[in-house]
Amino acid sequence: MCRAGQEPGPHDADHDKNDKTPHAAFAALLEDSVEELYENAPCGYLSTLMDGTIAKINTTLLDWLGLEGEAVVGRMRFADLLTVGGKLYHETHFAPLLRMQGEISGVALEIKEVDGGRIPVLVSSVVKHGSSGEPQLIRTTVFDARERRAYEQELLRARKAAEQARKEAEADRTRLQDALAVLQQSLLPSVLAPVPGMEAAAHYRTASPDRLGGDFYDLFPINADRFAFFLGDVCGKGPQAAAVTSLTRYTLRAAAVHDPDPVSALTTLNQVLHERYTGDDPRYCTTIFGTLDPDPTTGQVTVRLASGGHPPALVLRGNGKAEFLPTPGGLLVGVLPAAAFSATTTVLDPGDTLVLYTDGLTEARTSGDRTALYGEEALLEFAAGHAGRPARHVIQAFTGLLDGFGDGLDDDTALLALGVPARTPRTEAPA
Amino acid sequence: MNPLKTTTRHAPTGPVLEISGDLDYTTVGELRALVTALTLQPGQRLVLDLTGLEFCDSSGITAMIIAHNHAQAAHADIALAAVPDHTLRVLRLVGLDRIFPLHPDSDAATQP
Repeated sequence: MCRAGQEPGPHDADHDKNDKTPHAAFAALLEDSVEELYENAPCGYLSTLMDGTIAKINTTLLDWLGLEGEAVVGRMRFADLLTVGGKLYHETHFAPLLRMQGEISGVALEIKEVDGGRIPVLVSSVVKHGSSGEPQLIRTTVFDARERRAYEQELLRARKAAEQARKEAEADRTRLQDALAVLQQSLLPSVLAPVPGMEAAAHYRTASPDRLGGDFYDLFPINADRFAFFLGDVCGKGPQAAAVTSLTRYTLRAAAVHDPDPVSALTTLNQVLHERYTGDDPRYCTTIFGTLDPDPTTGQVTVRLASGGHPPALVLRGNGKAEFLPTPGGLLVGVLPAAAFSATTTVLDPGDTLVLYTDGLTEARTSGDRTALYGEEALLEFAAGHAGRPARHVIQAFTGLLDGFGDGLDDDTALLALGVPARTPRTEAPA
Repeated sequence: MNPLKTTTRHAPTGPVLEISGDLDYTTVGELRALVTALTLQPGQRLVLDLTGLEFCDSSGITAMIIAHNHAQAAHADIALAAVPDHTLRVLRLVGLDRIFPLHPDSDAATQP
């Protein structure tokens, strides 16, 4: 016996239709049927003749459109359900492809609602062929893509926002780099003061465009007959180092006017830096400061210089030799309240060039291992190869040397060459 | 690149800081923090034992100067032990070999 709540079996003798399958039984229980599924499926169905005339359409799709079946079946074509753009696309792409391939799927179109609205849909169609193989009708499913479209638009909006943010970040970065470049330039002289009877040239190489370097140099007149120069390297990098560089430059310039003695100038700088930066945040620099006294009658230039912890200056002699000007024991500037600085003097004859450099040059890595550095010996040998040449040629040669280090150049490098041109015009050897 | 390793031990003369590995821009913060947190009594000697120091750039030199200033503020001394050649070259160049007493090893540096 079949009681309420009991599932009827296929061979139940009391059952009204003995040939029902379990599927059909389920369908009956759920009050579902093929017809019901067709009419109220969660997607639109329609069948059209080969010319597009609608032969059959389900309730779901009619509800979306807001139309009655009588107004559609036999009276409208599929393309009539579409927006103007959709119609065009249907005619130029959809229909030809369908004819060619016999099926087409997942095409995004828009259908018109009766009240003027539009619904984004995904349309798939397949051609049904008759028993003799001729195309008979077109079956089409229409999926509601409103959710999907909203999601796509959200994605698009997010992508546009991300793109905008990226553009803004890039613009910010460019602005920052421009500001850094201007600041960096402000730390270096725009031009080197002309010194009678001398030729000067300089080069500055930043290891990283994003970080303000701490190297500096200058050449300026003290009075009509005497000139001063300096070149140095502030510890660290970035805005803090740049602030120290700025303080150092102006202190040295002012100190030189007050008392051009090189040791006095460095002593003044030492006091200023030590007072300003002390304790757990020491800021210091290495510097060579010097004066130039050109003698117009002999063409010679007397150089007096002092060093605070800086690599020794190079002198390239007109006779093809190069030598260091040792300044041993000069202490870093700004470290101790009372510091010793080491002074030396030399005379530049016509054809001689004084070269100052920062340790970015001597500390350049010459191999992957950072313990293998270019060093002073190699520098001296390189310098000798360019001795006797004018200052700008020497700077060119050194710039080429820096180029050759490539990635091995970890630190900024400043170069300053002060040369006395040779008196008799000499024939330049081909480079 | 070798990581920085530091060990602090106490000798009768005061703390001995053994520093090994690479002392550069990326590792120096660690040493700065360690050094400035050290408690030093007046008259004590802070010894930096550099036996295992593989690499030292200008950031490392700054850390040594901070240690120097820290010791001086506490009325204590500072000394360097077993400075490797590569670092000694830099110390000489910047004149710090005349500021820091240098000892061949930490035994010599901790002699009263």
